[in-house]
Amino acid sequence: MIPVAYYLTTSFVLFVVGMYCLAVKRNMIKLIIGIEILTSAANLNFIALSAYGKPGEVDPLGHTFAIMSIVIGACVVAVALTIAVHAYRHYKTLDVRELKRLRW
Amino acid sequence: MILTWPIDILVLFAVTTPIAYLAGTKLRVEKLADTWSVIGFIFSIISLYFLYQEVSVGRIITYYWAGQQLRGVAMLKIDMLGVFMAGIFLFIGLLTAIYSVRYMEHDSGHAEYYTLLLLMVSGMVGVAFAGDFFTFFLFWELMCITSYVLVAFRKEKWEPIEAGFKYFVMSSAGSATVLFAMSILYGMTGSLNFAYLSTTLSTSASPWSVLAMAMIVTGLGVKAAIVPFHSWLPDAHPAAPSSISAMLSGVVIKTGVYGLVRIMILVFAPDAYHWQFALAILAVLTMTVGNLMALLQSDLKRLLAFSSIGHIGYILFGLSAATIYGLTGGLFHVMNHAMSKALLFLCSGAFLLAIESRNLDDLAGIGRKMKITGLVFIIGALALAGVPPLNGFQSEFMILLAGIQNGAGNGTWYWLSAIMIMNILFSVAYYLRLVQILILKEPSSLASKAKEAPMSMLFPMVILAIMCIIVGVYPGPFVDLANKAAQAAFNLDVYVKSVVG
Repeated sequence: MIPVAYYLTTSFVLFVVGMYCLAVKRNMIKLIIGIEILTSAANLNFIALSAYGKPGEVDPLGHTFAIMSIVIGACVVAVALTIAVHAYRHYKTLDVRELKRLRW
Repeated sequence: MILTWPIDILVLFAVTTPIAYLAGTKLRVEKLADTWSVIGFIFSIISLYFLYQEVSVGRIITYYWAGQQLRGVAMLKIDMLGVFMAGIFLFIGLLTAIYSVRYMEHDSGHAEYYTLLLLMVSGMVGVAFAGDFFTFFLFWELMCITSYVLVAFRKEKWEPIEAGFKYFVMSSAGSATVLFAMSILYGMTGSLNFAYLSTTLSTSASPWSVLAMAMIVTGLGVKAAIVPFHSWLPDAHPAAPSSISAMLSGVVIKTGVYGLVRIMILVFAPDAYHWQFALAILAVLTMTVGNLMALLQSDLKRLLAFSSIGHIGYILFGLSAATIYGLTGGLFHVMNHAMSKALLFLCSGAFLLAIESRNLDDLAGIGRKMKITGLVFIIGALALAGVPPLNGFQSEFMILLAGIQNGAGNGTWYWLSAIMIMNILFSVAYYLRLVQILILKEPSSLASKAKEAPMSMLFPMVILAIMCIIVGVYPGPFVDLANKAAQAAFNLDVYVKSVVG
């Protein structure tokens, strides 16, 4: 069995990658992907930790939370993509630097 | 009853609002969807009152909404603190719905608007009632998603779209951070119930739990607009329709504060984690930045948004004292700020409807043309400035006293309280500047054409102004409510025992 530390490290790396994506990327779609990476880091944590709580047993609570979080993530992304589509209609670009007033 | 009556009624009315709208267009009944949602809010407030009667005697209602008692998951736990916050949310929600009937008249999409408004309030009430992180996160995201859409509601203009996207990116990054912290807490304890977490974590701090605490403060701080994470607020709040600005500035950011109050006291007990001082520094930073920036603005709604950041600083300072008295002041200020800031945003909406401008130069002297709106605007501005016979003074004074009381143990608190006093004096400057520009100046060419707002928009504003005066002159029962709520927050034994046994 793979030690839990590997999963934790991976999820931390994913979290950092997501934050880096939000800080550096300038494309709206890439920002939305960054949010998704952040959420999946947490989901991975839930799934991994649910298996390591008691030896030989998998806790359903972690899975429940992960599934719910995926569903909510889908809703969030749907809303975000809608906003991105409307932004594209206004500016004909997805580059957030082109948006006039926002200071990113 | 699925999720206790107040939430059930809100969700039910939210789902049926589109049907009401369709029926209204078919039967040619005007504003049926609008009236329908107002009725929903009224019913919800009535059912909340029954909950209050049960809870006010010190009982805590525990309710498993998923039907089975799976280790404290999917649980609603209603105590005085939850009812207090839910009462504020529903009250402002009702007045906003009444106001929107005329304010949103010329916009399309009434069915969506009222559905989203009802769902947003039900999300906030759910957050206030949540007894575990599962429920908390579910309702938290319900509130967040609907508020993204509501900020970007007028999608034909560029500003709401930009602000909506910025709000989305920052706020959902905050939510993801909270989610990550929840996963760490879950890994440490194997449970997500507040009471279970409290029994296992609140005795001693470990590196992991401190990391989780830092992430939760960050994540909820984004929503509450604590200073390093505040930059979405001055864009998002002005861009939304004014009725929604009143909701966002009045109550949605308070949901973040509520989450902090609940989690920081219950799960990360102040005796073991010693977060008081760090939070106080954040609070002082928040109020200073908010008030300084507010002075520089020339856009009315943007100024009000920055002053919201300043007031979040005051509330946070009350919480960071970590005493019942300080939290009473903080919660009392949550209520007062919700009322007076909602009042000011509703007034700015009336100005906006009259002359289509938010610029202070255009708005000069508009209070002379719109007399009632101008009068209630003065009351709201003075209340926020903390002028004695109005409500803001009472709660700011309590928060200050709590800070000074803490100074007996640690002298630095005297300095922090002194900074808060300076902030309050400083904020008086820009509120008086607002009053001077809007009321005393000669009307500008645009403002001289303004007409008084219609009756149904004046009604919620006048109610809020009267409430500001009543709470200021006769604060007893309201302080009592806030005190009960603060005691419920600190009454860990009862809360934990009602779940763990």
